[in-house]
Formats: sequence, structure tokens, C-alpha cells
Amino acid sequence: MTISRRVFVRAGALGLVSFGFDPLFLSRAAYAAQGVSGPARGGRTLVCLFQRGAVDGLSMIVPHGDEQYYRERPRIAIPRSTVVDLDGHFGLHPRLAPLKPFWDAGTLAVVPAVGSPDGTRSHFDAQDYMESGTPGVKSTTDGWANRYCQNAREHTDTPFRAVAFGPQLPRIMAGTAPALAIDDLRSFGVGGRAGNGDRLSRAFESLYEGSATGLLATSAEESFEAIRMLKTANPSARGAENGAVYPRGKLGESLQQIAQLIKAGLGLEIAFADMGGWDTHVNQGNDQGQLALRLTELGQALGAFATDLGERMRDVCVLTMSEFGRTIRENGTGGTDHGHGTAMLVLGGTVAGKQVAGSWPGLSAEARYEGRDVAVTTDFRDLFGEILTRHLGARDLSAVFPGYAAGKSPGVIRG
Amino acid sequence: MTRSCLLLAAALSAAPVAAQPPVSTARDSAIHVLNRLAFGAAPGLVDRIAGEGVLRWIDRQLAVPTTEDPGLRGVLAQFDLLRTPESELVRSYFEAQRERRADRRAAPSDSAMNAMSPDERERRMPPEARELRGLIMQAPQLVMVRAVSSEHQLAEVMADFWSNHFNIFIGKNVTRVYLPSYIEETIRPRVFGRFEDLLIAVAKSPAMMVYLDNAQSIMPGARPPEPGRFAGRRRALLGLRGGRRLDSARLALEERRPSGLNENYARELMELHTLGVDGGYTQHDVTEVARVLTGWSVARPIQGYGFVFNGWAHDRGTKTVLGVEFPAGRGQEEGLLLLGMLAEHPSTAHYIGAKLCARFVSDSPPDGCVDNAVAAWKRSGGELREVLRAIFRSPDFWAPANRSAKVKSPLEFVVSAVRVLGGTPDATPRLAGAVGRLGQPLYQHVAPNGYPEHEEDWVNSGALLNRMNFAMQLAANRVPGVTVDLDRVLPATSDHSVLIEAVDRLVLGGRMTPRTRSVIAQQIAEITDPVQARAFALGLAIGGPEFQKQ
Repeated sequence: MTISRRVFVRAGALGLVSFGFDPLFLSRAAYAAQGVSGPARGGRTLVCLFQRGAVDGLSMIVPHGDEQYYRERPRIAIPRSTVVDLDGHFGLHPRLAPLKPFWDAGTLAVVPAVGSPDGTRSHFDAQDYMESGTPGVKSTTDGWANRYCQNAREHTDTPFRAVAFGPQLPRIMAGTAPALAIDDLRSFGVGGRAGNGDRLSRAFESLYEGSATGLLATSAEESFEAIRMLKTANPSARGAENGAVYPRGKLGESLQQIAQLIKAGLGLEIAFADMGGWDTHVNQGNDQGQLALRLTELGQALGAFATDLGERMRDVCVLTMSEFGRTIRENGTGGTDHGHGTAMLVLGGTVAGKQVAGSWPGLSAEARYEGRDVAVTTDFRDLFGEILTRHLGARDLSAVFPGYAAGKSPGVIRG
Repeated sequence: MTRSCLLLAAALSAAPVAAQPPVSTARDSAIHVLNRLAFGAAPGLVDRIAGEGVLRWIDRQLAVPTTEDPGLRGVLAQFDLLRTPESELVRSYFEAQRERRADRRAAPSDSAMNAMSPDERERRMPPEARELRGLIMQAPQLVMVRAVSSEHQLAEVMADFWSNHFNIFIGKNVTRVYLPSYIEETIRPRVFGRFEDLLIAVAKSPAMMVYLDNAQSIMPGARPPEPGRFAGRRRALLGLRGGRRLDSARLALEERRPSGLNENYARELMELHTLGVDGGYTQHDVTEVARVLTGWSVARPIQGYGFVFNGWAHDRGTKTVLGVEFPAGRGQEEGLLLLGMLAEHPSTAHYIGAKLCARFVSDSPPDGCVDNAVAAWKRSGGELREVLRAIFRSPDFWAPANRSAKVKSPLEFVVSAVRVLGGTPDATPRLAGAVGRLGQPLYQHVAPNGYPEHEEDWVNSGALLNRMNFAMQLAANRVPGVTVDLDRVLPATSDHSVLIEAVDRLVLGGRMTPRTRSVIAQQIAEITDPVQARAFALGLAIGGPEFQKQ
């Protein structure tokens, strides 16, 4: 099937019908061509959202029931009066209020003490580990999302199976399985919106087919496949539904385009977007201020995404992640320094929602990591692994997280 | 053949005994050094360098005494930024901040601001802020103009290397107003000097201190001396009167006042600037380095905005870094000793030697060439000129397997494309904007690690398509912000085989593969208009696979 898929794509979108084999593809192509909505048949999507710079988990999922939290953060704690309570002990930052309806509906779970077993406080190492999926091992060349695609071959390859929004392909998707980096769906292609796009595409395609080697050759091949499919499916024509309003900015734009790809049924299985500005060493603020502004954008974008997809969210899972958390105690400059455990959000139709997942170590001195940080009680690979297995149907995680003996699943996906 | 042998001999005659002979023709070697020590070939340059002798050209590039090419003076005169004193930029910045605050009282809420388009936000900017923004946006374009047009190409390559190694992000608060002096006065004069001098200059630069927060890091509990006279002036400056407003404003000031240690710079100093992440330091060392550097800060406006050592903020206790004890109470000197120690550390020589080899030789730098760089580092006490010389003389640098084997970064791609067509960028930020859209917005890499050097980081489907688009636009002289005089470098002709021959010589130094040649011929076969055929052929050559490599 994989081979026939490649043949089909190479032959061009319209070539498929005349080939006449591979019924699944016929139906998918029919979806795309007729604009029938819904993800690829039987297909589920995982959307990963990386908060680069190490988000302060304690401000995102606030342990407002813990006096220690307020003692450690006289200037930057989120006042109890403004926290959006979840379970009496934890609450959402007020700017994440757009997510509360999903909590109430049982499609949002939070994991307040998750992270890496590796103790590095370097952004770059920690991001690297979270994306490679091999904490402590720097020699890993590919990312875990790519290894998932390499190994779950029962899923079909389409150029849109793994898509990262941004000008560069992130580490998490680097590897031998095809993955696309798309900065903006609307201008993806050669020749922009000018008329000679097809001719140029053909010219460059034969040029790279003949003269390129290695990474240049495979990247070019993927590009031209993708251009053909996009032309047929035209996802950008699909507006936001259910009254969803995405916030201005890169994150809102990326999530809206991920929603468009899902609606167009192009076989999107893993999508990735990221957002910076979380490294709040100075004047981080509380329910107002720097961090609050970033959380506003995050809350609005996630809320709009889930609203826009509506019923289709039954097959979609959104996972936020960040390389580590921040110090429990505020620092001398009204901010927080690099810490250890942080909080992650899991949102979607397959999520066992309305729960604080994983165990909470608390903030007491003896429960801390190295005396200063939130301890990690859920290894990020247990969280990611559970989502890959139960949401996407991965059968074997040993290749995705090599050398890892899985620990306790946090139980965020309904079994 | 005879001619190229003669040229090779000419190249070798300039070679000191230790140098490894280039293995191929002098033209091949000239193309190789232009790809790596420069931002690519420009019309006529390959033959000129082959004629001069490649090794002599390298020595001349290394011997450049200052980093500015006198030939650029007229071009640089268009950049107001170079004539604006830093004090003026800082003043504008704080003036704009004040206006913004005043504005905000009557202004829309955060969410309303969020809902605005960038254009609307720009229009709403106070004039001071807009003017400042315009000035600062000249900085990335200065990179473009110099990289395209300077004859001191290696100095420009090194300016790019070191400003990326010591990366700062202009989006972070006041960092942007310190960028011009950071580039012009901190980095550029030191690109071939001693590493220790560069490291100390960077450590003292307001740009780095603000970007990595050391300006804010003080001994926990230390308080600035605040004589009544100054406090009074501050109050007057803020326009404060008595009563409740004073209290709340004082409280706000008090809250913003730094009151403790910030480890950010201390960590990156070791992880990224010197030892490397595996260089053998611990979290304890990070905290101790932060203590050593307490008090290194940026002067208040009244003191002239530059580096200042605040004795009151300095931790006067004993510290131990990497097992070396720093006796108590030596103030600013402790920091200088520390930077010297880090600069001399073997891990630093290895980490930076390998990084230079990755830039100049191969994404996976061969051990031999790294060893040569490290040996030169040790021999010369970290003289960067000598380290570079060692790399350029290493057999790995010249090995055929390492030629045309590195993928260009977006900056290298755009600049080399403009150079190869003899183009001239203007003083607007538009050409720099094109590099940004290809994935490398200059001075806008948020994290202190700078842009990566590996092909996996730059080659992916989306980015490749963007390069093809850029190539087509440039070949039609339709890239905003740059002019290419195509008739001068490549006269249009209706004879396609003559055209392709000329494109090959100009863009690929005569090394176009037969396959590329035939694809281009096929693609332009039906185009009768010579100007159109030229644009198409040039665009395919520049956007094609061979030109992505260096």
C-alpha cells in the first residue's frame, strides 16, 4: 500500500482514478476532491505545541490550594481570587479561561508535574532531549515524531502525514520519514500566486530529480508531491467554523491552518507548532503582565482551534509541551529561573478529561528536585507514549523511545 | 590545461612550507575559498583569485587590519544608524516607552491590541518609536550590504560567525538599542583578535548584559545607595506628587528593582560562549560564576549607558569555579580573571575550534582539522587569526570530499545569489527581509545558541521551495531592495546553448552537471523571448540543487 501511494502521488493526483487499485486512497482522494470534511478515514491527528523557553508550569496550572505556593512567590503568584478553579486545589491561569468549557465537557486533562529525567537546565539540551525523545543522549539524529512515522507503517504515507508550521523543520520531526515544514499554507508552492506555477514546479522537479542527492533530493521530492495534493484539496478555502475566532499572530495562524489541513482530509497525523517568549527571568508578572500576555494568546488560540473543529475534535488530540519548568521560588528580578518539572495540557475527544493526571509531589522542601524545583513524577515519554499508543494506535514504542522501559501511564487517553 | 597548471603553480608559490597543496586546479581552489571564506563568487573574481594565487589571497584576507572596507564608505553613508550615537538611541527608546505608557491609559486593552493587524499597530506607534524602529531595522540590512559588497569577505564571514556565536535577540526589551554598538564596536573590531579580548568585550557589552540578564543580577539583599538628592530627582522625573499615587508608584519601582542572583548569563557563558555543554562544569559552577559576575551591569542614563561595575551589588564572598578558588573581595577583577580562565580552558579551544571547522570545513568536522585548530589555539594563546590560518592549511579543508559539500544557510544563499549576479542592495531592510523569510531573520534568533550550522536545520521542503521562488524573482530582477544589472553580467541571447554556457560559467563556475544542462535546455526550449529565456535559465540555475551547496 505504501508503495502504491508513492506511485500514485508521483503520477499526479488525477492519475489515481485511472490506476483503479487501492480503494482507501480512492475514497480519500474523493473526500479531498469533493470537499467532504473530516480527517482521513479512520485517521486521527496529534497536534504538538511546543512552548519554547520553559513555561512556568506553576503559573499555567496554579496549585492555589497550596499555601507554600503563595509564600514562595510574593510578587508573581496568581491571586486566588482570579484563578479559574479546576478541582479545589489546582486552577487555570485566568488567561486560560477559554479552556474551562473543555475541562467541564471532559475533554481537557492537565499534567502538573511532568518532564525529563535528565537534570539539565539548558534550554537547548532540554528542548533537544524532548524532541529527540532520548533524554541524556545527544547523538540521536532524529526526532520521536519522525521515528513514530518510520515505524508505524500500517498508516499510509502522504506528504501531509507529518507537518510542522514554521520556516524550519523542528528536531522533533527530523529523520528519514517524510515530513513537511510549512510556513504558510497559502503561499506553499513555486511561483507564489502568479500564473506560471505549474510550469515552474515541473522544471524544478526534474532539476532536483536529476541533479540533487541526499537531503536536497528527498526534500524536493516531498515538496512537489505536497504541491500537487494541496492544489486538489485547497484547504485554505475553508474558513473557521462554529464562530471560532483565532487570535492574531503566528500561533493562531498555525493552528487555523492545522485545522484546515484536518478538514481537507489530507491524512495529517502529527502536526507541530511552537511559540516562544516563555523564558521569564525578569518581571514575569502574575494575572497581568508578560507571562499573562503569552497565556492569553495560547488560551485564545487553543480555544479557537477546538471550537473551529467542533465535532471533528473527536479524532484530534492537542498536547502542549515545554522543555522544563521554572524555580518554585521567584528570583530577585520578579521572574523565575530554570527549573525542572512543568505542566502540560492534553485536549481532545479521546482525552480522559476533567482530571489532574499523574501524581503531584507538592512544593514542600523535601518533595523538591534539588531543593528548588518541582519534581518530575511523570516522565514525558510516558505521557507522549500513552498518546501515541492509545490515540494514534502505535504498537511498538521501543523504536520511538529507544532504551526506555515504560513507566506508569498517566491515563490521559480513554482506553 | 597548461594554463591551469601554471595557475596552480602560482597558487603554490605563495604557500608557506606547512601548507597543503590544493589538489585540483587553481580555479577549483578559488571557487572553494570563495564559497567558504567569502559569501560566494562575484563576476570575474574566480579568475582574479586564481591568478593572484589562492593562498596569497587567503593571507591577504587574514591580514585585513580593520574590519571595514574603504571601498564601502560611500555605500555605508546611506545608513543613518552608523551616525546615530548610542545615547540618542537609548533616549529615543525610553522616550517612546514613556509615550506608550501615557498612551496606554487612554488606549485599548491588551486583547484589543492583540486583535490589531501589524500595520494598525505600527500606525498606533508613537513617532519616536517608529523612527527608532526604522533606524534599528538598518542593522540587518547593513549585514547584507557588507556581505554582498565588501572586499574584506573573510572579515564579514567572521562578523557573521561571531555575532551568531555571541547571539543576542533584538526583540528583548532595550537590547535592540544596544545592538549597533555591539556589532560595530564590540564584535567587528575583534573578529581576528585574541578570543579572550572578544569574550571580555562581549561580557561588558550592554547588549549581552541586558539580553542574558546579568545587568539585573545582584547579591541577594544588596541595595543600591540612593542619596536623597537622586531619589528626589527620580521622583521629579516621574512627575510624582505626594499622596497615594506616590505610594503606588514607589511600590511599582520597588517591585521592579532587582533583588537577587540571576544565573542566565553565567550558564550560557560556559555552555555556549566558552566551554561547551560538555565542557565539565556543574550547576554549582553556574551559581558561582553568577556570584563572581554580580555587579557587572549597565550604567544609568546619567552615567552614560555603558558598562559599569556596581560595587554595592557585588557578592564579596569567596567563590570556587571549576575547582579554582576566587579569594574574597577582589571586585571587578574577579570577573576578568574568570573570563581569562574560561578563555584559556582546553574545553574552550576544542569547542570553538570544532565550531569553526564545522563552519569552514564540514558539518561533521574531521578530527584532524579540529586538532590543528586546537594546536594553533594553544600555541598562540587563542589568537583567532592563527586558529583560522591553521584550519585553512589543514588537509581536511582542501579534501575533495569536503568541497561543495555544505548546504548554504539562508544568509549565505541570498548573499551568494546576489553576488554572483553582481547585484547591489539598497539601504532599505527589504533584502534582509528576504533572508528572514527563508528562515534566518538576522538578530532575531531568540535563543542564545544562535543559528545552527547543519544542513538538516536548513533543508526541508518548505524552505527549499522558498529558495526556488527567491531565485526566480532575483533572476527577473524583481527582488525588492536589490538591483541586478543582468545585461552587464549576462547579455541576453536567442542562442540557447550560448545562454546555458554563460549561465554555467557565471553561476556554477563552469561545473554544471550534464543533467542540469539538459533539463534547463528542455525547459527553455519553447521560450523565444531571449530576456525571458535568460530569466528562466538563471532562476533554475540559482534555485537548483548545485547552487544550494558550497
